Amino acid sequence: MLLQVLLAGLSAGAVLGLVAMGFSLVAGTVRVFHLAHGDVVVAALFAGALGVLGRTPVTTPLETAPALALVGLTLLAGAALAGAVAFVVVLPRLGGTGRATDPVGLVAGAVAAGLLLRAALGLAFPQQGYAVPDPLRLSSLTSSGLVDLPGGTTIPVRTLGVLALATAIALIAERLLVRSRFGSSLRAVADDPVAATLSGIDVRRVVLLAFVATGVLAGCAGLLDAPGRTVSVDDGVVLGLAGVAAALLGGLGSLRGAVVGGLAVGVLQSLAVHAGGAALQDIAPLTLLVVLLALRPAGLRA
Amino acid sequence: MSTIELAQALWLLLSATGLALAVSYAGLPVLGQGAFMAIGGFGTALLGPGGQGWPLLIACAASVLLAASAGYLVALGGSRLEGAHLALATWALAWLVDRALHGWPAITGAAEGLSRPAPAHLVTKTLGLDLVLTPLAHVVVAALLCLLALSALARFGRGPGALDLAAVREAPVLAASLGIPVAARRRLVLTVTAALGALSGAGSTILLGLVTPSDVSPLVSLELFVAVLLGGTAKWWGPVVGVAVLLALPELAGGLARLADVDVERSRGVLVAVLLLGVLAARDPLGRRLSRAGKAPGEPGPVGSPHEPGTKGAVLLRATDLRMAYQGVVALDGVGLELRAGEVHALVGPNGSGKSTLLKALVGEIDAGQVAAHARVVMTPQQSVLMRELTADQQVAVGARTHSGKPIRHLLATPRSRVDELTPVVSAALEATGLEHVRGADPSLLTVGDQRLLQIARAVATGAQVLLLDEPAAGMSVTERARLRVVLRGLADGGKAVLLVEHDQALVAAVADRVTRLDNGRVEDSE
Repeated sequence: MLLQVLLAGLSAGAVLGLVAMGFSLVAGTVRVFHLAHGDVVVAALFAGALGVLGRTPVTTPLETAPALALVGLTLLAGAALAGAVAFVVVLPRLGGTGRATDPVGLVAGAVAAGLLLRAALGLAFPQQGYAVPDPLRLSSLTSSGLVDLPGGTTIPVRTLGVLALATAIALIAERLLVRSRFGSSLRAVADDPVAATLSGIDVRRVVLLAFVATGVLAGCAGLLDAPGRTVSVDDGVVLGLAGVAAALLGGLGSLRGAVVGGLAVGVLQSLAVHAGGAALQDIAPLTLLVVLLALRPAGLRA
Repeated sequence: MSTIELAQALWLLLSATGLALAVSYAGLPVLGQGAFMAIGGFGTALLGPGGQGWPLLIACAASVLLAASAGYLVALGGSRLEGAHLALATWALAWLVDRALHGWPAITGAAEGLSRPAPAHLVTKTLGLDLVLTPLAHVVVAALLCLLALSALARFGRGPGALDLAAVREAPVLAASLGIPVAARRRLVLTVTAALGALSGAGSTILLGLVTPSDVSPLVSLELFVAVLLGGTAKWWGPVVGVAVLLALPELAGGLARLADVDVERSRGVLVAVLLLGVLAARDPLGRRLSRAGKAPGEPGPVGSPHEPGTKGAVLLRATDLRMAYQGVVALDGVGLELRAGEVHALVGPNGSGKSTLLKALVGEIDAGQVAAHARVVMTPQQSVLMRELTADQQVAVGARTHSGKPIRHLLATPRSRVDELTPVVSAALEATGLEHVRGADPSLLTVGDQRLLQIARAVATGAQVLLLDEPAAGMSVTERARLRVVLRGLADGGKAVLLVEHDQALVAAVADRVTRLDNGRVEDSE
């Protein structure tokens, strides 16, 4: 039983880690709290579903072509939406030096952008919850869709598939962001935007691309997280804030820390729900976030 | 507008007024006023008649106290930080409270909320009193509370307390260096804001006999934030204008929703988001335009009326054997220094020789060894720090304010007289630095030299006898340096001990009575 709870927590936590990575990436480099990030996750997924499936819910498994289209469109929508947030909220507030000049305007602007996404999405999708089919068909990995655990219990194979995939995506993304040319530009901007500008780096472009990267991560998180449960357009805020808690737990700005933080918050959520009921699904990470901000505001490792 | 609607609007205004104190005056971006209103509203409903059965007033007071403690606790973490962290913390609190209200329907009634008999009765058994709290009674009480809060805000805005908060808002590091307890001020402000929010929530709950999560949702928190931003900075009528716009919002959202045949709540969300983005882009659309901008400065007059000579030569500050290392790099290696009244003491040395570290140690910012100060010590920053929205003399008044003491008398006196009390100190500081011509000027229009001198004037106004000036001549022209020389001489002749960190050898040679040369954290040479 405990193993079941732990694995479910780790699986959800691995997805949360992807969300936290996106938040940590821009918080650590551009020094912006991207509080619309969770809404981008949900909005990207709904945009992808809208493009491929329309507004009527589909629960039957997808053929290969629409499945690929759903994946592609969701990632693209995530990138576009995150880029739009950067364009509307962040770029106008980068001073001549490339350093954010108006921290309060940035954070409130991101909150407003999130609200706008949520409300606009709510206009298009008026129902309480929607089911999204799994484009990766992770459930069909075994014939029953279940895996036997030691102790006679079972767990959906999807849970293990999500855990493996999310962890793999996180590791690849982390390597890409550290190794690539873009990664070094990003670190240069993080260290000193003025010096970065002087060495020929287009700071605004790097900032925009960083946001686009968080959008792609958001799309991945949405695709892994949504199938198998009903998704509401309002889910994004709390998902985003849980990601913030994970990012703070892992040390703001550290990508690996965000992954570990995500796993920890996922397990915490799973245990809390197991012990105290479904209400704690949201309440546990939010409480953790409020407490972290009151006690260790700069993150656990700072 | 019915009596109930008017009463409701007034209760909302009380919450907005509390929020204006935090947002407009102290620059604290609180995105969770709804959470504090929830604690007030649900607290009163749960504890009071119909819930735990406590007397109404006690239930109300207990919930307000609870919200105030929550505000204090949030500020405990947030006060040490940039505004963005506080925005995040209060936003998280707004959602935590919202999720908790939905998460335990058995206690909070989920989306339906809690209903209590209305109109409520205020029963005092000992006096045999049974007051019926009709909507009209609510209008009277809420109007009185709003009037009280708004006039307190207006009084406060004209008084010296607002100068403190302006400094906390615009330049927290500088405010701390002038001796303003920044963190304590922020905690106090957030506590008051939370208490007023809770009072508003409780009042509206008692009025309607109903409180639902959507009355205190994160969306409401954002709406109030927008309302306060709309009203602009530091104007007492700001909240009134903002709440007026808020009241029009549901109508507008309803109209739009009917027009496009969409959900009302969603259309309200879109409106609030667009409004918030717009207000943030324009920042202070009303307040900034209507507030009196400082005038342009005049021409500098001749500097230096004769100063009263002080006790010359007395040692005001003595540091011995200061040692400090950062990650293995030795910044101070057994430095000793004496600052005497009536002397300009220059501290020279190459970059990285430990000058700034020594200043920090002398002012007590870091502990590097024994520093015996026989007078107050103030340091000016290396870069000019100017507080937006304050005129030049107000910037100096911020310094004067920090040593004027007598808190009780300050509370009782009228704000005008409290500010007037500062005038002679401000005038003296401006005169001592040759800045009489900038009185009332917008500091951002001043020349670099005048801006640098303003930093010194602010330090002088604190009344400190020991002034540590970190490269005051940086960016000054030759003629401005000449003025600075006269000012420094005048300050020393007035009995102050001046420590001057400077690279300009000519200035040092012209004005310094003593020179200490630092290199690699050691005193190379003192003459």
